[in-house]
Amino acid sequence: MTIAVPEHHELRRAALTAAALVACAGVCVTVVSVLSSNRSHTSLPPPARSALAFAHPTPLASGARSPARWAPVRAAATARRAPHPGALPVARIGTRTPESTRNIVQVLGRTRRRAGRLWVRVRLAIVPNGATAWIPRRALGGYVFVRTRLIVDRRHLQAVLFHGRHVVFRARVGIGKPAWPTPRGVFYVRNRLTRYRSPAYGPIAFGTSARSAMLTDWPAGGYVGIHGTDHPELLPGRVSHGCIRMANRDILRLGRLMPVGTPLTVR
Amino acid sequence: MADRTSRPCASPLVPGGPTLDQIDPSGAMCEAVDRIERTTRVGLLKRAGAGATVLFGAWRTPAAAAATTQNQDRAILNYALLLEYLQASFYTEAERMRALKGALARQAHVVGAHERSHVRSLRAVLGRAAIARPRFDYRGVTEDASAFRDTAVAFEDLAVAAYKAQAPRVQSKSLLAALLAIHSVEARHAAWIRYLAGRLPAPDAFDDPMPRRRVEAIVDDTGFIVAPASTSGKRSPRFTG
Amino acid sequence: MEVTVEVLARNPDAGEPARHTRAEALERAVVAGGALLAGGVLITGLPRLANSAPSAKQDAEILNFALLIEQLQAAFYAESLAHGSLRGRRRQFAQVVAGHERAHRKFLESALGSKAHRPPRFRFGETTSDPAKFGAAAVALEDTALAAYNGQGPNLTASALGAAARIVSVEARHAAWARVLAGQIPAPLAVDRPDSEGEARASLKRSGLLNG
Repeated sequence: MTIAVPEHHELRRAALTAAALVACAGVCVTVVSVLSSNRSHTSLPPPARSALAFAHPTPLASGARSPARWAPVRAAATARRAPHPGALPVARIGTRTPESTRNIVQVLGRTRRRAGRLWVRVRLAIVPNGATAWIPRRALGGYVFVRTRLIVDRRHLQAVLFHGRHVVFRARVGIGKPAWPTPRGVFYVRNRLTRYRSPAYGPIAFGTSARSAMLTDWPAGGYVGIHGTDHPELLPGRVSHGCIRMANRDILRLGRLMPVGTPLTVR
Repeated sequence: MADRTSRPCASPLVPGGPTLDQIDPSGAMCEAVDRIERTTRVGLLKRAGAGATVLFGAWRTPAAAAATTQNQDRAILNYALLLEYLQASFYTEAERMRALKGALARQAHVVGAHERSHVRSLRAVLGRAAIARPRFDYRGVTEDASAFRDTAVAFEDLAVAAYKAQAPRVQSKSLLAALLAIHSVEARHAAWIRYLAGRLPAPDAFDDPMPRRRVEAIVDDTGFIVAPASTSGKRSPRFTG
Repeated sequence: MEVTVEVLARNPDAGEPARHTRAEALERAVVAGGALLAGGVLITGLPRLANSAPSAKQDAEILNFALLIEQLQAAFYAESLAHGSLRGRRRQFAQVVAGHERAHRKFLESALGSKAHRPPRFRFGETTSDPAKFGAAAVALEDTALAAYNGQGPNLTASALGAAARIVSVEARHAAWARVLAGQIPAPLAVDRPDSEGEARASLKRSGLLNG
C-alpha cells in the first residue's frame, strides 16, 4: 500500500493546470511545475522561521549565594526570638517608617515551617544593631532581590557600592564624630527621600536600619541616613551625628545605582 | 493577606489520587492552589483579604489601539511576556529560597532557565513596547516544596492552555512559529512537574485552550501580582544628620 | 529538469488576508529574483516550493501527514502492548498514550473524511518487543511527532491550527513522559525545534519506525 493515493496526485495536477489557465484580475504570474511520478516525500511546505531569537538558557549558578532580599511589611507583627508564637518577643515591627514610607525588612536564611505556619528570619531596625528575629511569613509581602551591597569603611572614610562582585561606585564620606559614631554592623537601606527642602541633607537622603547608640532620644528614632550635604568642604572627615554624608554629585550618582533594600555594612 | 491556614484542600488532584491535604497537611498554601484549580468552574472570584488588590488589571496590556496586525500581535506578545514573567520569577525565587530538593530542585533549575530565556526573547522582540516586570508576592509558595510543586503544575497547565488559545489569532507566521515552539515546551514542563507530583503527565488525549479573560481571572485570583511597595518619600529627613 | 508550479493570486480570499500578504511577499520575491515573463511561464532551476499560503487544500495535505504519524504511533503502541513485555511505569505509559494516539487518529480520519490516506504497513522490528528499545523508540517517536506538528502548524489555516494545537501539546507531554522513563531530561531545550516533512520522515526512518 502506497502512502500517496494516486487520485489525489492527479487531482492536484489538474487543479493547478486549471488554475494556471484561469484569467486573473491584473497580471497573474504562473510557473508550471510537473510533479514527478514518484510522489515526493517533501511536498509539504517548509517550517516557518521563528520571529524570536532564543538565547541559550542561563541556569542560576549552582552553589552561588543567593542575592540579598527584602520584603515590605504588610501587617504589623511581633518579631520573636524563635520561630513559634510562644517565643520571647523581641520587637514590634510596624508597617510604616518614621518617614511614612512602607517599612521593609531584610530577610535572611531559610524559611521555617512550625505548626503549619511559615516563619522567616529578618534583620531589625533596632538597637542593638544588626539584631535579627523571627516573624510570620504572612506579615510580609513579596520578596525583592538585590544584587548591590554598600560597604562603608570608617577608617578610610570611603563608601563603595558593589553590584555582584563588581565595584560600581566609590566616594569619600563624612561619618559620625567620635561622640556620635556611625555604628558598626550590618544594616540595610530602608527608604529614599527626595524633593524635600533641607539643604543640609542634599538632594537625596537614604534611610537605613542603623540607629545611633547615642542618640536614643532623637526624634524619629535616631536612624542613620546616607545623604548629600551643604558643607562638602568638611568631607572626608568625622563630622556628623552618625549619618554618612557625601558630596551632592556623589549622592546623585549613588541614587541611580543603589535600590532601596541594599544591604549596608559599616566597618 | 487572608489567613490561609484554615481552608481545607479536600478535592483530589486526580480522581482516586492523593488529596492536597495528604500531600500538604498544613494546608498553608492550599488556598492559592485551590483557586487556580477551581476557577474554571466557579468563575471570577472576589478578592479576599485586607490590603490585597486586583492588580492584574494594572498589568493588562493595553487593548490594541487599532486592530492592526501589528498591534494585535504585539498585544499577544505582551500577554505571553506577562505569563513568562510570572513563571520565571516563580522558579527563580523557588530556586533561591532553597526549599526544594532532589528531582524537584533539578526541575526548577532547568525549567527556570527556560522561562528566563523566554522572557529575554520576548523582551528582545518587543523592545520598548515590552511591559515591565511586575512585582510578585508568592506568599510562601516558593518556600514550601509541596506548595511549590502543586502551583507549578497549575502554572504549566495554565501556560499551555493560554498559548493554545492565542495561536489561531496570531497574524504573523514567524511569530506563530515562535509561540508554538514555546507552547510545546510549556507542555513538556507540565508533564515533567506532573510526573514529579505523582500525577498523570498527559491526562487527556486533547488539551483545551483557555481564553485570555479566564487566564487573567485565575492569575488575578492567586494574588501573586502585587503593587510595588512605596519605599520613596518626600518628607524632610529626620536622620541623625 | 523539473519546472515548479506556483499559482500566485493577486486577490486573496477575504478569509485569510494576513496570510495571503505573505504569499504576495513571496510572489514579489519570485518576480524580483526570477527570469520572468509577465503572464508567461517561468522555467528555472528553482527549488521545489509548494505554495505555503494556508488553504483548505493544504490543510488536507498537512493533516494527512499528521494522520500518518498518528497511525504510526497508534500501531507502535498497540503492537508494543500486544507483545506483553512492558512492565510497571512503561506499561502504564504505553496504555495511556496508546489511547491518546488512537483518539488522535480517529479525530484526523473524521476531519479528513474521504481524503484520509490509508496507513502503510508498519514494520517496527524489536522496538516493540524489547522494553529498552521501546523506551528509546518512544522518545524518538514523540519528539519527532512534536517537531513535525510544530513544523507544519504555521502553514495551517486558523481553524485547522486550533485543532492541531490541541494535539501537539499532548504529543509534547508524551515526549517529556517518555524521556523521564528513559532517564533523560524531559525538556532539553528552551524551545522545541520545528521539523520539515523530510526531516521528520528521516528521523522516523533512522529510528526504525518508518520504511521507504
